[in-house]
Amino acid sequence: MRSNANGADPRPLLTSDVAAPADALGRLVGPGDQQLEAFFERLETVELLPLSAPNRVRLRREQGLGVRKTENGRSRLAAADTISGPAFAACCDRVAGTARSIGTVPPRIRTGSWPALRLAELEQAESRLNRAVNRRRVGFPMEITARRHRRQVQVIRSPIAAAPQFEEYFSLQVTTPWGVWGGLLPSLADEDLDPVALRLVDRLRSRGLPPHRRAPGVIVLGPNAAAVLLHEVVAHALEADTLGLSGVPDQVVGLKLGGPELDVVDDPRSAPLACKRSNDDEGTPVISRWLLRRGRVRQPLADLAWAERCPSMIPGAARRASRHRLPGPRTTHLELLPGTVPERELFAEAVGGLYLGEFDRGNLDPLDGRCVLRAPCGRRIGASGPADYTGPIEIRSRAVDLLAAVTAVADRPLAGGAGWCAKDGALMPVWARCPSIRLEGLQVAD
Amino acid sequence: MNSARLPGMRSLKLALGAVRERTGATSAELYVKVGNTRRIEIDPWMAAVTADPDGLQAQVSVLDERGWALRAGSASRAIFLADSGPLLEPNGWRRLNRHSLRPGTLRLPSPCSRTLPSPAADAGEHSAGDKETAGLAFLHDLLRRLGEQMPEARLVRGRLDSGASAAVLASTTGVTGRSARRLVTVELDFAASRDGRRGHCRLYRAASNLELLSADSIASEIAERLTLATASAPPFLPAGEVAVSPALGCTLLALLAPLLRGRDGWRRLRKLGAGRPLGPPQLQIVDDGGLDAGWMSAALDDEGVPTRAVALVRDGEPGEPLLSWEDDGWSGFAAAGCRRRSGWRALPELCHSHLYIAGASEPAESIRSGIVHGCYLLDRAHDGRCHATFEPSTNGGAGRVEEGRFEVDAIGLVIRRGAILGEAPRVRLTGSLRQLLQGIRAIGDDLRFLPAPGPVGAPTLLLTGLEVEAIG
Repeated sequence: MRSNANGADPRPLLTSDVAAPADALGRLVGPGDQQLEAFFERLETVELLPLSAPNRVRLRREQGLGVRKTENGRSRLAAADTISGPAFAACCDRVAGTARSIGTVPPRIRTGSWPALRLAELEQAESRLNRAVNRRRVGFPMEITARRHRRQVQVIRSPIAAAPQFEEYFSLQVTTPWGVWGGLLPSLADEDLDPVALRLVDRLRSRGLPPHRRAPGVIVLGPNAAAVLLHEVVAHALEADTLGLSGVPDQVVGLKLGGPELDVVDDPRSAPLACKRSNDDEGTPVISRWLLRRGRVRQPLADLAWAERCPSMIPGAARRASRHRLPGPRTTHLELLPGTVPERELFAEAVGGLYLGEFDRGNLDPLDGRCVLRAPCGRRIGASGPADYTGPIEIRSRAVDLLAAVTAVADRPLAGGAGWCAKDGALMPVWARCPSIRLEGLQVAD
Repeated sequence: MNSARLPGMRSLKLALGAVRERTGATSAELYVKVGNTRRIEIDPWMAAVTADPDGLQAQVSVLDERGWALRAGSASRAIFLADSGPLLEPNGWRRLNRHSLRPGTLRLPSPCSRTLPSPAADAGEHSAGDKETAGLAFLHDLLRRLGEQMPEARLVRGRLDSGASAAVLASTTGVTGRSARRLVTVELDFAASRDGRRGHCRLYRAASNLELLSADSIASEIAERLTLATASAPPFLPAGEVAVSPALGCTLLALLAPLLRGRDGWRRLRKLGAGRPLGPPQLQIVDDGGLDAGWMSAALDDEGVPTRAVALVRDGEPGEPLLSWEDDGWSGFAAAGCRRRSGWRALPELCHSHLYIAGASEPAESIRSGIVHGCYLLDRAHDGRCHATFEPSTNGGAGRVEEGRFEVDAIGLVIRRGAILGEAPRVRLTGSLRQLLQGIRAIGDDLRFLPAPGPVGAPTLLLTGLEVEAIG
């Protein structure tokens, strides 16, 4: 997989033969439905803070492993902050509950060297973003913290070793006199920084405006805002563990959640270049998963544990925040398939309404299905499209009402809406590709 | 597997020498931390609390954590480097060189002259089996007791973490320090439905060991909160006195935390009084890193600076600011050890240790029973609002906190002449930060610490001049 920003092949996490730990896990498997899995992980975050900050360059590297045994829905996980044969053997002993569970000699496990540091692209981010802002004929002071995140994962589920995974992406935090913007980017190239500049300029022009209190009849969501909405009300709502809170997860299959224009897919294989996945964090191959097909639920997001409980579910959506956490079903790359309405027409039928380019916060209450989305600013829609700026706006609605309000999907999808998902306190990067959408008849609270 | 051992001070000094030699740094600091955690998670499939405990699916995790962090720098160049695993041997620093330091600054504290007690060097570990058995027994006991009190309650999520950690640090300025800590936390999420009304409650409790957590009292707290959350809304809410429980008092104090640390906080706190006392004479707000029996108690902070009790508000007036060693002597105030790391990956940051409103002599029960016409608010509504708003400034300022307001959604009871008139499943308590402090009319004697997530403590408080509104 050619998957880092330089186009170079990432080095494998494990340089020793993965057959050795796979064999060891095989020896550990007992009778019945026992499953054993080893998860090897390496993370690197390089952070470049503004010049005035102490310890401006911050490099965090860590690697470790976790061994998990699952049996009849119960699991035991043992994790360590180092990758070595003895650490692997010790974790196996802990999940097995016996000493020398895989024999007297631990398997040979070696790791490759860390990739090159490459600070230059982080150092150039500030000037590139400034230029992108200046191209919009404005300039304002900003302090930028740029981070590059790399993650290498190798999963061995006895007796098979999944293909190694490598992800590389960036995050930016921009502090301006009127607030802080933060988000994820697949790269720090001009084409990815340009939309950031647009959002910063939107916030500049709407600074100090009062919150929008009147409920507009029509709202048009740009691709970024549409992605956040779908993340909350489709992806989170269709994660098997969320569904399990209020019923039996596979009973939602076939349920109508929205109109026929809503086709939503989760496909980690089509995530941005350096973040594509072929396997999930349990080593299961990922699939292009239809979450909604013509507005009806097709296939909720599931991991192995939920697929075992609900036989109609397909695993392949497991993600884990780190080796110290258990995996859970999560979205990786959400896509709303384009509709047939040209973007110009989307706005033409929304004159007098509100255009929201982004949401900076979203939350779904998994128990009662209420959703809160907050946009830092908006624009009134005039005859020629988005016009005057408005202040922040908060949308509070039930998830099903939000989806039912979608009346049109534009024909031009864009990558956007990437961000950190913090469900259950486990921070994970999520990606999306969406066109603009139009909503009608929503309740808006201040 | 035995728990990881910390390196000796000699190893740290050898490593620091190697770093200085390789990078040309004039100063450097190494921090090493090891820890182990046993986590028990009850499967979140909305199990009824009356279900057979053996049928509940428990996920057990045994986690060993180990890492170190290096800060090194000279006058104008610096680096922060953190890595997992054991500390590198002196010859393992070869990847560092003079180009590793980048433009930036580094300042490190100087050693103190006081002799301080040195805690145990390593993260101790009970027998793994004992811990797991005790943890499961605690959760099962809690569910059984809750089942007896409120059979309609359903477990949404339950998590018990029991762990120990130890850290050691050394710097080229001569600062050395060791710390050790044990902590048990329990996070519980329950839902219930009564007469078609659904309610939800979340509880987070911490203690330095499991024996200090009472399954019975936690079960009672959950039953009380679920009963209120599923009650019907009262026809009216009396404005006037509001008594808040220690749990809600902790939430309110946590909202005020930005006012109570650092130079900026001090300036804001002084402005908040606007020439008048901040609160009644019996109001004392303290931050104490070395609080006896506090679950974060330590003689040194995470930069090796001695901790002490700092009276942030004394007798209702601003006392002294919480300052780190970098601000020692600012406006004539002395610093205290108050820079903490959230883990080995993090840099030390100014933060509170045990922040609390000291209890007064008035019995909490007499405060509650003395309400003529008002509310007794028990806890925040878990999914409601809870924030302090600082007025936005269009000229780039961080906000004028003296104009700040707070807003907290809570559950509670309507009280008249000491008797309960009704239940309030959700009320919104709002007001100015100034009124929150100046409106304190009584302070109870039942100080209690809760994780927010750091330890924050408050007794029962009687507040006046705030707005209370029924919502939802």
